[in-house]
Parts: sequence; structure tokens; C-alpha cells
Amino acid sequence: MSAPRPADPHPETTGTASPALLRDFYRTMLTARLLDEEAVALQRQGVFPAYVSLRGQEAAQVGSAAALDRDHDFAFPTYREMAVALALDVDMVGYLASHRALWHGGLYDPMRSRFAPINAVVGGPVPHAVGWALGERLRGDPGCAIAYFGDGASSEGDVHEAMNFAAVFAAPVVFFCQNNQWALSVPNDRQVAGGSIAARAAGYGMPGVTVDGNDVVAVHAAVREALERARSGAGPSVIEARTYRLGPHSTSDDPGRYRDPDEERRWRERDPIARLRAVLERDGHADTAFFEEAEREAGEQAIRIRDGVSSAPPPGGEEMFTHVYREPTEALRAQQRAWREEAEL
Amino acid sequence: MAEQTFALPDLGEGLVEATVLEWLVRPGERVERNQPLVELETTKSAVEIPSPCSGTVVRLHASEEETLRVGAALVTFEVDSAAGIVGTVPGGERPTRRVRLRPPAE
Amino acid sequence: MTELSIAEEPVPAPARGPSMQQAINLALEKVLEEDPTTLVFGEDVGRLGGVFRVTDGLQRRFGAERVFDTPLAESGIVGLAVGLAMNGWRPIPELQFDGFAYPALDQIVNQMARMHYRSRGTAPMPITLRLPSFGGIQAPEHHGESLEALFAHVPGLKVCAPSDPADAYRLLLQSVRADDPVIYMEPKARYWDRGPAELAEPTEPIGSSRVVRPGRHATLVAWGAMVHRCLQVADLAAEDGVDLEVVDLRWLKPIDADGLAASVARTRRAVVVHEAPLTAGLGAEVAALITERTFGDLLAPVQRVTGFDVPYPAGPLEPQYLPTLDRVLLAVQRTLEA
Repeated sequence: MSAPRPADPHPETTGTASPALLRDFYRTMLTARLLDEEAVALQRQGVFPAYVSLRGQEAAQVGSAAALDRDHDFAFPTYREMAVALALDVDMVGYLASHRALWHGGLYDPMRSRFAPINAVVGGPVPHAVGWALGERLRGDPGCAIAYFGDGASSEGDVHEAMNFAAVFAAPVVFFCQNNQWALSVPNDRQVAGGSIAARAAGYGMPGVTVDGNDVVAVHAAVREALERARSGAGPSVIEARTYRLGPHSTSDDPGRYRDPDEERRWRERDPIARLRAVLERDGHADTAFFEEAEREAGEQAIRIRDGVSSAPPPGGEEMFTHVYREPTEALRAQQRAWREEAEL
Repeated sequence: MAEQTFALPDLGEGLVEATVLEWLVRPGERVERNQPLVELETTKSAVEIPSPCSGTVVRLHASEEETLRVGAALVTFEVDSAAGIVGTVPGGERPTRRVRLRPPAE
Repeated sequence: MTELSIAEEPVPAPARGPSMQQAINLALEKVLEEDPTTLVFGEDVGRLGGVFRVTDGLQRRFGAERVFDTPLAESGIVGLAVGLAMNGWRPIPELQFDGFAYPALDQIVNQMARMHYRSRGTAPMPITLRLPSFGGIQAPEHHGESLEALFAHVPGLKVCAPSDPADAYRLLLQSVRADDPVIYMEPKARYWDRGPAELAEPTEPIGSSRVVRPGRHATLVAWGAMVHRCLQVADLAAEDGVDLEVVDLRWLKPIDADGLAASVARTRRAVVVHEAPLTAGLGAEVAALITERTFGDLLAPVQRVTGFDVPYPAGPLEPQYLPTLDRVLLAVQRTLEA
């Protein structure tokens, strides 16, 4: 396990960011990559029942998350936003607890983290971002919401309804689509009529832009601009970050059944981490010592989180009943007592 | 030093077995954690299993082309520390019970 | 038991016949072959062959016009089926996992279930909606739900759930050939278990149950993966000299009330076991049917052993949520002592 090296000798990026910010992006993206590799291994070793890799989408996730105002904004993830969580300083043992099946939504505090519980319903959280954002506007607060979703989710009615609602209510929300080309086994050309999710924004009367999702600087700039717009009261917008799911849909999936290895190879050559490294090297923003240090730190952090989630205690059976209601019913309490009596036989 | 046996995990949402395609390590070989151990094939896909620990391979419990049930022993290691192997494996469906019944009077 | 039920089958020995997912695949192949109006579609059912490989090879064999991937939109999938059915096709859509039937509930309940009624019988609705269902595989959230009571409550739907490969084959043929919408619930936890090599045509009418193990002291009623659980319980009970009958309900709507009554009239005690939460679960319906028909014969109130009234929990809590052997045995003991 080591940092990907550039296959493309011509680093490319659009926009600018400060060298310090670029180095931050690199460290976070690399940590996400190494942690992702550990998570895949944990599934193969029987620790996680399943895992969904974000490999290849680090730039889209870290670049977008880094644009958020940590004190005011709120992110609504799907189930593949591990690098967003990392960039937002979410408790990563608590995050990965979801994949160890300790608790479906994860064991971090979503309200304090400003990062909603992991959500496995494709498209489901997108309207929540609109509602959250409307809540800010109604109260006169400055926060914006970002809704993460994929190319597959863009087909769901909920996503279309959310976009229309957001525009009608001028809600301060950014619809951030990571178009990773494959919705499980279904490619873009069988999923996205018209070929562009960003283009759909026009139909809902809001701006829509497409960015190179493997260019962390471009992603960051686009999301920053959309957030500024939303915060100024000018309403929602759509950003489509074109990227690629380098791994399978999940550890239960086998892309060999539906995907051309040449396509995977071409996208591997556009690895977002290698590209960022090339930019840092080209512009003299980082030296060998930086990359060595970044790799060492990222590896240590990945192992710390891995060991933390591997050894986290499983929840007790009582927890099944604890959070069903704020005001539990007597009938449910009776079921809990019956459960306990049987458990203590 | 202690011996630990790594059992075949459920590799994908309720799978019950997997077939050994190729061993990537041999008995006596030193392995590091996450080093590829074996390539397996399930009904869903072919997967490479990374070693769950650092140690020395003592025994391989299946030959190539052999099909194993989930929970069956896969590899035994001599590990550096007893806490080396992570995770749990579904234990199959061996029914266990505590309640005994009393037949009704006929 | 009654004429409605097919012949009693002995508990099969460990078999190397088709697994349940293969048996369903073979049934789909058969209906695609015999009826050119059948269409198989859903998320990832075409090129991939389904996430459980249930539709493996069907697109290659029958072409991408008859076996196709849809965009990712469950309400759209069911709505598409409704329109196709109105235009003379016999759709067999798949929703990838139980929990993803919720986004499609509008089309299932408001449209598919009542289009025939709304159209005064003029609009045909021969749809078989395949739904990998129930829990037991430590899957992510929304991949372990039991929706049978919701569906059974909807006028216009029929609902079935097989428990083994041979019956999965029969029930699918029957569902597809039926002229009404059927929700076909596949127990994911049993997908990979194999059955006998012989697959046979259905001979029994829709709505029949079967006795999978005869016994005389009490009747266990179950469907899907819980049939296997009840057979395990019956084995354990036999060690104690208690002889349990196990009825595989198979059809959850219509329910074989006569078959249930015949079994319970003989054993005089009944326990119904399901994965879904207790309150307003299908066990309540089964208990009511048994009570209505065999009240005078019953020696004890009908017992229910079910999931709890909590959202389906994650991994390590799953075995504590699902009916355990001990919970079923305790319920049996309660009926024996009453």
C-alpha cells in the first residue's frame, strides 16, 4: 500500500488554490485512499459484512467537503462519502462502524458532525438537504446544505422533486452529483438520458455546471462558488463532478461481469491523487520529504482507525429498543422485557 | 507465539461457500498483514483474501479447486501476538438451545 | 392435510440440486421461453444478471429487449410494469431489495393493485413483482425488511414466499402464469441452499399451504426462511418427545385458512413464527384465522414469535432480533402448558 504515482506526466488542473490548501487536500485524499484499502481488506477478512469503496472519487469528495463552512453548513451523504466524512473530521471509527454493521447509520454524532447519518436509500437524503436548507433560510441563519448523490440516484423521483422544491423555495442548497459513470452495473448511457445531470438544472431554473471530478482544485472552486451563491440568497445549484468508481460497486460486486478493463485502466491513469501529486511537484509546492511524511501519517491514521473499528464493542441487544422513540410506548417496553427474559434464560 | 486459524468469512451478503482458485502462500512462509493469501471464487465474484495477521503460515486447510463452507478453517498461522487475527466469522447454523420441552400428557 | 395442499414432503436430505437462486433462474427461463409476452426488467438484472445472479444469462439468451436493465428508480420500474401490462405484456419486474419497495409503494398500492378494479376488469395486470426479502444475511440497512403484512393488506395483490428451491420454482411459474399482480418474496437467507435435483410444475392452486413436517402436539406456521427455523425447532422438540407439525404457508395472500384449520384441529395448538415486527404483522392474521375456525379445538391461545417492533437492526443484533430457537421453543412450551 503506497501513494499512487502519476502515470500521466502532464499534470493538469484548473483554477488555483494556496499551496497549503493543496497539501491539505493531498494528505486527506491519501488518508482516505489508505483507509479505503484497509476497509476493503477488513471485508475480505470477515470483519465487515460489506463495504463500498470510494476509490477514485477522493478529489470530488475532499474538494467539495473542504469548501463547506464547518460551523454553519450541513452535509447529507449517501453510503460512499467516506472521504467527505474524513475531510469534515467526523469520528471515523464511528463512521466505519456502519460498515462493520454495528449500527446502520454509523456511531458518530451526525448533528454535531454536521454530517447526516449514512444513508443507503439511493436519492433518499437529497430532499432532506432541501428541507434543512429551507430551515436555515426561514430562520435567517447563514448555513447551506450540500446533498451528495450519484449518477444512479439522479434517476430517482426524489432527486427531481428535491431540485424543483429547492428552486421554488430558493433554498440554500448545493446538489453535488458524483457521476462515477456506473450505477452498479449500469453505465451512464443507460442511466442518464441526455447525458448530463448538470443540464437538468436548467429545467429547474438554476445553474448547473460540470467539473472534472478528479481535479480537486476545480471541484473545490465550483462548490465554493455554489455555496457563495446559495449563502447570498440566490438559491440552489447543481454541480456534476465527472469521476470514476475505480472499484466494484461494493465488496459483493464483480465489475468483471460488465465493465471493460481498458476503461478501468484509462481512469486509473487519471487517478486524482497522482494528479494532485504531479501538480504539487510541478509547482514546487511539496518535496520528497513532504510526500514521505504524508504517506507515513496517512498510513498511521488509517491503521489507527482500522484497529479502532475492528476492536469496537458490538452494541448490546438493549440498543435495539433504545432509540425507536423519544417517548417509548408501554408495548415496546413489554417487548424489551420479554427479550431480556429470554436473553437471560 | 501462538497458533491461530482463520476461517472462511461470508464474502458477500449471505454466501455459504467459496472455492479455492489459487494459493498465494505456502506453509512455512512468513506473511505480513494484508499480504494476499489466496484467490477464492464465489457465486458472485473472484476475490483475493488479504492476510488477517502477520505471522508464519502453518497449514493450508484446502487444496486448489476445493469448495469450502463459510466458517470452515482456511489457514492456520503461527502469529506474533495472540491478538493478531481480527474479526469474527458466522459460525454456520449449528442450532443451539437452552429451553427443554415437557411433552403434554396424552 | 386438505385437498388444497400438495403432497407432504419429507425433510430433504442434504442435496446438490439447484440452489434457490438457480431454481428461480430456471423458472424465469421457462416462462420467458413459453410466453413471448413475458419481460424481465429491473436494476442490474440484465448485463450483470442480478446482484444475486437470479437473472444470470437470461439477457444473453432472450435478448436485451425482453431482459433489460432500467434506470435506478423503483417507482418507475413498477409504473413501467403497469403500463406494459395494460398493453398486453406480462411483466416480471425486480426490485433489488425489500427496502427499495418502499419508494415504489405508490405505484404498487395506488396503481398496480387496483388498476384492474378501477378499469372494471378491462385492464389486465398480470405482473409478478420479484422482491428479494427478509433478513438473516447481515446486510446493510433496508436489505432485511419483511413487507408481507403491508402487501397482504392491499386489496388486489396476491403475495407468496417460497422456502426452498423446488417450491421457489413452482411458485414462480404459478405467479407468472396468474393473471393478477403477485408479489413474489424471495428469502435471501436461503438463496444459496440447495434442494433436490428435480424441479416440477405446480399442481396445487394458488393459496395452498403445505405440511413440510407432520406432527401431533402443536402446529408451527411459517413462511420464507422461518420455515427452516421451524424445522430446526421441530428436530429439537423431538429430542424431548414433543412432536411438532410444520406448515409452510407459501401463500400469504390468499392464506390457506382451510389448511391451517385442518392442521390445528388435529394438533390443537399453534405457534406462528415470522421475521417481521409483532404489531399488525401477518401472524395476527394467521392467529385470527385459526381462532375463528378452530376455537373449540384449541387447548391454548395461538402464540406469535416474531421480530420486535423496532427497525431491522444491524449485524450483531440481527440474531437477537430474529426469532431464536429458544424463543420458538418457549412459545411451544406455553401452548403445551396451557
